Amino acid sequence: MKIRITEALDLDLAAEKWCCNRCGKELVLARENYKKGCLVRERMPVEVHNPLVENSPFSFAPDPEWCRIIEFYCPQCGLMIDNEYLPPGHPVTHDIEFDIDDMKRRHGIDAKTKTKDKTKKTGTM
Amino acid sequence: MSNITYGRDFEVVQRLKPEPITPEEARAMENLDPTDFEIFNHKMNMIGLEGKETTQKLGASAGMRWGDVAFGIYTAQGDLAICATGIWFHAALGQIPIKYIVKHWTGDPSVGVKEGDSFFFNDPFYCGVHGADMGLAVPVFYKDKLICFTGAVVHSGENGATEPGGNPSTSKTRYDEGFLIPPLKIGEDYALKEDIMTMLTNFVRDPRTLVLDIKARLAACRIAQRRILDVVEKRGVDFFLGGLRKVMVETAKAARRKVMELPDGTFRHPVFMDTVGPESSLIKLNVEVEKKGDILKLNFKDTSPMIPDRPMNSYFQGIIGLTMVYLCGWFFHNLPANNALLEVLEWEFPPDALVNASGDTPTATAPFPQVAFCQSMFHIGAKLTYNYDPLRAVAPWYHGFGFGVYGGINQWGEPFADITGEMNATGSGARPDADGLNVAGSFFATMSDCSDVETTEADKPFLYLFRNFFQNHGPGKYRGGNGAGYGIVVHKVPWIGIGTLGYGSKFPASVGVFGGYAASTSSVQFLRGSNIKELQAANGEATPSNMLELYTTKPLEGQRDMTQITTPVGPMMEGDAVFIAAGGGAGYGDVLERDPALVVEDLRLSLITQWQAKNVYRVVYDEKTLRVDEGATRELREAEKRERLAKGVPYKDFEKEWLAKRPSQDILKYYGAYPNPSKA
Repeated sequence: MKIRITEALDLDLAAEKWCCNRCGKELVLARENYKKGCLVRERMPVEVHNPLVENSPFSFAPDPEWCRIIEFYCPQCGLMIDNEYLPPGHPVTHDIEFDIDDMKRRHGIDAKTKTKDKTKKTGTM
Repeated sequence: MSNITYGRDFEVVQRLKPEPITPEEARAMENLDPTDFEIFNHKMNMIGLEGKETTQKLGASAGMRWGDVAFGIYTAQGDLAICATGIWFHAALGQIPIKYIVKHWTGDPSVGVKEGDSFFFNDPFYCGVHGADMGLAVPVFYKDKLICFTGAVVHSGENGATEPGGNPSTSKTRYDEGFLIPPLKIGEDYALKEDIMTMLTNFVRDPRTLVLDIKARLAACRIAQRRILDVVEKRGVDFFLGGLRKVMVETAKAARRKVMELPDGTFRHPVFMDTVGPESSLIKLNVEVEKKGDILKLNFKDTSPMIPDRPMNSYFQGIIGLTMVYLCGWFFHNLPANNALLEVLEWEFPPDALVNASGDTPTATAPFPQVAFCQSMFHIGAKLTYNYDPLRAVAPWYHGFGFGVYGGINQWGEPFADITGEMNATGSGARPDADGLNVAGSFFATMSDCSDVETTEADKPFLYLFRNFFQNHGPGKYRGGNGAGYGIVVHKVPWIGIGTLGYGSKFPASVGVFGGYAASTSSVQFLRGSNIKELQAANGEATPSNMLELYTTKPLEGQRDMTQITTPVGPMMEGDAVFIAAGGGAGYGDVLERDPALVVEDLRLSLITQWQAKNVYRVVYDEKTLRVDEGATRELREAEKRERLAKGVPYKDFEKEWLAKRPSQDILKYYGAYPNPSKA
């Protein structure tokens, strides 16, 4: 059973895997940082943000001495699943860490038997 | 004196959550008819809204006139029960001064709290933000019984600090930051005390605005008082007290229920800021939210340390106040706005962190770390709630400010000092189904405006060279809204003082979600000895009409200084100009999924640049007709994806190389231990 977690990410709860929402590629275990299952690329800010002023410490583009763009791609279809703007060398953020057992209970998947409990409901507004 | 120790009250500032229910309130709630309660709730909200509108219509400062206004009805214990749309955090933080009044002044024979009193406050220790934010509250009595308070808190912009405008970026202690007043009785028997008013006006550069703003708050409070007493006269005190408390009880129940429905987990988002007062320097605000059951617990471990002699620090209460912006406006958008929403929050602040100021440290630019924290809430909220309510998983609005502060004598010979209304000219973040709005307002005051150019020019010695959209949005499948770029020329006075405030010149202030990119960084240009008046006297054709022209095809002559957004106030002579950008909203989703038709439509409206269309959105089109070449665009985008797969490396390989890098020590002066400040 896949549930959508972000614009680009699904969680396969039964298999406990992060998956690309577009092509379905399994990325990494659900209890891990999904970024570990991505291809990762460091980019200079100037590739995305065009400086309007030349030879100035302030140019309307991030300063590469301060900031790099780290992009995370689906290794199968090349979708950009997420990106981070980080100072050089700053560890990547483990931004989403669900309690997978809780998530499975909420969606009617028993962690041991993997049978669906129809009395449980997912949240709706 | 009863219980005053002439020092800060560290207990009262902790009381951001609702006070215990009194036996009287409990009894009164039992007798409330559900239909009567709904009518009461609506009536109270209308009274709050009228209070907000009255404050806004009568006030004089930029904050007052353009909607950075908070108005609330507070219980007799000081809880915020009813809050009108405006600046949610001011209303929530406004309860601390009221709880201070209840605690210290009700039983004090030298002060007392009586019908007809009015109290003023702006000490950020109690109000949470900074000295430019001022509040006024009045107690409401019915037949000699204190039944509630009404209060308004608004940025007035001038409190006699070392720089005009109330946000001195050069302050080194709190004593540089103008008057900082704990709750003070400024009116008795329905009249302001003129000796107090004379003292306050003597502190500031713009006494007229200060007085008008105080009277606007007071008028709004009194109108709300009158409306409340009408209700009490008709339905009785018990009905009123029970109704106010029930609003909060029901709010807390609904808030807990919603949080309970979300999956448990831990979510993180660090924010990097690049401005420490007048210096460019890297600092980190680290936010972790643990969601378990019906509780969201905030943790700020690994946030940069407090900076004793720079005004970038925030009291913890200001940070919690800012959660109300995200909670009221987005997360609990369909629940009543009151401090019972905070029942779902727990928090832990490291001692002496940037977000937990203490001692005499200055806090004039505390709004910077506060809004940066709120950006984290947008990111964490998007990831926590997408599965539950995807349309609420939005990218952040611009968070880095970008506005002018000024002071001097205006063209009418009157003193003036304030901030530019363009603080509210930022772009909103992209959404899962739509682009962000251009010049949407301000994320913390979503009903705000940025003034008409002509209105501003009427009483400020400014000539706007231009003010229009600047292509500074964050790109994405859906793009952020653009902010406003504007140029102000000093006009018809010999000189005035001008500075600017904001952050995000080296490191982007608002980053995207789910693969969307950040909004552009921003800079300010000060131009002295310019040729603007000569160009205008000729025929004006060579003058730039927007920021892009200024920086590309129609640069101006003169002594040009490009600076970070925050620049201390300094003299600018007639004809000198400053060019400022209010930032754009962040992007949502992968740029390669943006509909090419939307890209060329943006080009047609000058909302993006040709460079962005070609190099970021990867669209092939005819530059004259703006017709998209669908096949070539598809091919270009597929090639881009192939390049991603070719240049992307496995996480482990990336990490091995990446973690060996480090920024220059020059920019880590205030950061703490890199990369995690707690490892010092």
